[in-house]
Amino acid sequence: MKPRETTMDVSEIKRPRRWHILVFLLPALIVYTAVMILPLIETLRQSFYNTVDGQYAFVGLGNFQVLFGDPRWAADFWNALRNNCVFFLIHMVVQNPIGIALAAMLSIPKLRFSAFYRTAIFLPTLLSFVIVGFIWKLILSPIWGVAPFLMDIVGLKWLFAPWLGRPDSALIAVSLISVWQYIGIPMMLIYAALLNIPDEVIEAAELDGVTGWSQFWKIKLPLILPAIGIISILTFVGNFNAFDLIYTVQGALAGPDKSTDILGTLLYRTFFGFQLQLGDRSMGATIAAIMFLIILAGVSLYLFAIQRRMRRYQF
Amino acid sequence: MGSLQLQSIRKAYGGHEVLKGIDLEVKDGEFVIFVGPSGCGKSTLLRTIAGLEDATSGSVQIDGVEVGHVAPAKRGIAMVFQSYALYPHLTVKDNMGLGLKQAGVPKPEIEEKVGKAAGMLSLEPYLARRPAELSGGQRQRVAIGRAIVREPKLFLFDEPLSNLDAALRVNTRLEIARLHRSLKATMIYVTHDQVEAMTLADKIVVLNGGRIEQVGSPMELYNRPANLFVAGFIGSPQMNFIDGERFGDSAKTVGIRPEHIGLSRDGGQWKAKVIHVEHLGADTIVYLESDEVGPLTVRLFGEHRYAADDVVHATPVIGGMHRFDAEGRVINSGR
Ligand SMILES: Nc1ncnc2c1ncn2[C@@H]1O[C@H](COP(=O)(O)OP(=O)(O)OP(=O)(O)O)[C@@H](O)[C@H]1O
Ligand SMILES: [Mg+2]
Repeated sequence: MKPRETTMDVSEIKRPRRWHILVFLLPALIVYTAVMILPLIETLRQSFYNTVDGQYAFVGLGNFQVLFGDPRWAADFWNALRNNCVFFLIHMVVQNPIGIALAAMLSIPKLRFSAFYRTAIFLPTLLSFVIVGFIWKLILSPIWGVAPFLMDIVGLKWLFAPWLGRPDSALIAVSLISVWQYIGIPMMLIYAALLNIPDEVIEAAELDGVTGWSQFWKIKLPLILPAIGIISILTFVGNFNAFDLIYTVQGALAGPDKSTDILGTLLYRTFFGFQLQLGDRSMGATIAAIMFLIILAGVSLYLFAIQRRMRRYQF
Repeated sequence: MGSLQLQSIRKAYGGHEVLKGIDLEVKDGEFVIFVGPSGCGKSTLLRTIAGLEDATSGSVQIDGVEVGHVAPAKRGIAMVFQSYALYPHLTVKDNMGLGLKQAGVPKPEIEEKVGKAAGMLSLEPYLARRPAELSGGQRQRVAIGRAIVREPKLFLFDEPLSNLDAALRVNTRLEIARLHRSLKATMIYVTHDQVEAMTLADKIVVLNGGRIEQVGSPMELYNRPANLFVAGFIGSPQMNFIDGERFGDSAKTVGIRPEHIGLSRDGGQWKAKVIHVEHLGADTIVYLESDEVGPLTVRLFGEHRYAADDVVHATPVIGGMHRFDAEGRVINSGR
């Protein structure tokens, strides 16, 4: 028995070229390239071009210089970026903890009507953002909204304010509407992760005296951490691409006084123009490129720094 | 410390009654084994003792104290699950120490207890690993270690070895027997495995359909089964059951263990044809078909040269017969 011979034999076996794999991949590849990769490349390319003296020309990083250098562009951009960060932070500190709490409550075995609650809480996610935006505009309207009326009934009318119309509260109000709409997603993902924990592990914890809150902190939370990571990155990508809800609730100007302006709405106004502002494809593409870089950085951070440290548990 | 009394324990899921009145007394330091067919309620009974399920009615007393409304962790018990149920995110050491930590035991003491348990189970090299990095046998030892460190009055094991391969099972079985001797704790153990039951138990409890069929030492159950069910359940291969009438006996059924039948080519009580022979080395199992008493299984010690279609004569050993009445209760047992 010479082991060397056997290894040589193995390496000499020629595998037939598996062309069919390529053939099967092709349709998806073509579609994906046409609708995702090409537009992305084209956008990135456009961010390096602009119209100079009536001529479409390569300007290098000129557009980026304008965006960050010109005081008016820069003010708009930093305002949108800051609002976007606030938007994201509100989701992280409100949506995800509440989602986890809802999932934890849903997974209580003795809870009755849990299927009903699950559906009810998930329902807004299925609604169109147009409907959600419109509903909340109606609810919160100080003139014919139902919120002041309802708050009056319980004697809390003094608490009411035209939240969507005030620059200092509009962003928070819109963020909370978005939280309301999307809370079902973290809830469902965490719920699935919680169901994945075997009963016997929980029972072992009961026997060890680890019950109630300490059971949640010491056993359940560490075991659902990977799901929380995934939710965070989904929230991040979703929030930095957000546009629709703000557009329906506050319009393209993201009022009042641009207090709800995020990168998505800034991009929209810049690229397509709005009212007196003329559309500027090059500057729009430049903003889009920055958004792409921000999201890329966030996702890379997650994939390479966070996810690697996280353990996935097999039960 | 470590005695257990169960009084008319009943447990129903919805309308379906799983435990139908269990009375049992376990003395301090005893090793008691629950056996019974699948679905007979062994796990349910164990979980009721642990407090993971509440009995529908009846009382559970540990050391004479009613524990029906005491939280599982306060009952002074520890349980080892079939699926190990280790905490996947904690190291072996933390898995074993979590219960103590939760109870507020000072760190050095936890260290000491975990170290001692790890020593007993030869787990020292693995203390820093996580469960995913251990073999099945090692994981089960960690689960046992987690039970030991809590120094319970009562150990509960639910089929702890059934996920292990045969060789490991024997080793771990010996380890559990050794643990029982050195800890002198009361242990209740559920198993499907006859050998485990016979070798480990001081007392075997045979359950069937939510009722206790018989309680006794392994040899009592083997020699004096109280009814047809126990007679058929204990012992492998199964006891031969012969219709009393064919046998010319007043009993409804007569049972004879395969090892209590002798075979000869020359002559004996029943003439029979060999259907099949299994050579196991130490034993030879011969399956017969006899005109007088129907099918018979015979277990012979050592090697024998019988082959299918041989004609042989079978003779029951004197005193090896168990006679049962029409309800399946024993009338008298041979010895
Ligand atoms: N949560 C439950 N709800 C309803 N019925 C249950 C539940 N748990 C167990 N049962 C039923 O109770 C009966 C006894 O179950 P148990 O798990 O105690 O059986 P077992 O003797 O441990 O069986 P096995 O040897 O297969 O583990 C079974 O018929 C089972 O279907
Ligand atoms: Mg069971």
